[in-house]
Amino acid sequence: MVADSRGARAVRSAGRVNEPRPALVEAHGDGSPKQVNREEVALVREEWRVVDRWWTEEPLSRRYFDVVLESGQQAVVYRDEERQKWFTQRGA
Amino acid sequence: MTACIVIPGFELRAALRKRPGLALEPAALGPPAGAEPLIGSVTSAAEAAGVRPGMRMGEALATCPSLVLVEPDPAAAEQTWEEILRRLEDAGFAVDPAEPGCVYFETRGVERLYGGLRNALERALAAVGSTWDPRAGAAERRFTALAAANVARPTQALVVSDDAARDFLAPLSLDLLPLAEHEQQELRELGIRRLGELARLSAPAVAERLGPEGRQAWQLARGGKRARVRGRRPPAEIVESLEFPEAVGNELTLRRALATLVDRVLARPERRDRFVRKVALAARLVGGASWRRTLTLREPSAERDRIRIALGPKLAEVPAPVAELRLELVELSAEAGRQLALVEPSGAEARARLQEGLRQVRASTGGGSVCTVVEVAPWSRIPEARALFVPRDE
Repeated sequence: MVADSRGARAVRSAGRVNEPRPALVEAHGDGSPKQVNREEVALVREEWRVVDRWWTEEPLSRRYFDVVLESGQQAVVYRDEERQKWFTQRGA
Repeated sequence: MTACIVIPGFELRAALRKRPGLALEPAALGPPAGAEPLIGSVTSAAEAAGVRPGMRMGEALATCPSLVLVEPDPAAAEQTWEEILRRLEDAGFAVDPAEPGCVYFETRGVERLYGGLRNALERALAAVGSTWDPRAGAAERRFTALAAANVARPTQALVVSDDAARDFLAPLSLDLLPLAEHEQQELRELGIRRLGELARLSAPAVAERLGPEGRQAWQLARGGKRARVRGRRPPAEIVESLEFPEAVGNELTLRRALATLVDRVLARPERRDRFVRKVALAARLVGGASWRRTLTLREPSAERDRIRIALGPKLAEVPAPVAELRLELVELSAEAGRQLALVEPSGAEARARLQEGLRQVRASTGGGSVCTVVEVAPWSRIPEARALFVPRDE
């Protein structure tokens, strides 16, 4: 496995696999995504929630959507309820 | 301990070596060609006139009409920096350069050599040379060492023990953190101006406001992580250059000059039977500026045409007519050649090819770039908690 080396310096310490990346998402009134990174969502295939670490100082509450975009590309995005931000994530 | 040596405004100082008279005048490093018109480091006379690094060029010139803009000379800066690093290496320090003007090294090995930490730091400062006004800092953690070097006076060494690190960092300004200007501004608007104020906040709050960079800055404000300093592998010294009687802008002529340089550099006896892995092509441009590109070959080679073809397209990127073209062999392979077997077992061959591929990736991107995926919590409901990339350097 070869790490992403696009950064000026190569990664020197352990990093997480499938780290979430910020996404530009426009949502419907019910909270489901309407556009992901300026591309229309054609279909929401699945929706689920992950609530974890609520006993720690860094609780986690995510609402995941498995979507198909108009281009046919599949994407998994989630709304971080704690940070009120959208992210995209592979391997979810 | 980890030591850090800092030369403030190194690139400006390096560019001013050709025009030493300007060092006492209001002068600033101009922006590189094609970049945003923001000025770089400034001389103390310019600073006294109200000019600050990072200012827009127009604003700086309006603030100080007599300000002289010095054209950046990255090739000269890199060469000068390399000379400084070599002096440090000659004195026994295994250096890990962070950027031109900032270098780290581990003091453990040299303390006994020079009779203590302070003596070792003084020796390192002497190796850099007092004309550069270097400052040294030493601490258990890298960031604290950097902060100590930034606080120290010219040619002074400041040692910060781990117990005193938090108190030492607390009153220092946020400028030391690797945060973008808008992020620093955001913190200032929230009333946070010192590292201590940032360190007192809770990590989630900082991460929420500023993202991963904020979290990293918060960690640094608390001293940062302990990390071992790895000495670099010194680059090769084989260099050939060609000075033109008149500046050349024609790519065809430059390609011919490159072919001559490749022939000359490959014929150098120091290269002997070693193959070339990494090369750098540099040019001194008309008007005094410079340009430089490095290239790692897919496979070590000593074939003239292969090196020429790999470097040729880079010449199209030269932004101005060239006064001098320079070819450097940055890294040579240790092996003299490879004997191929007539029939290799397929498994062993595949493994050998994979190893060679990984070696090439490491050579071009540096240590730590090849990773193994290690499952740590495959049952976790949080996708990013299931596995880690762990650097694999052997």
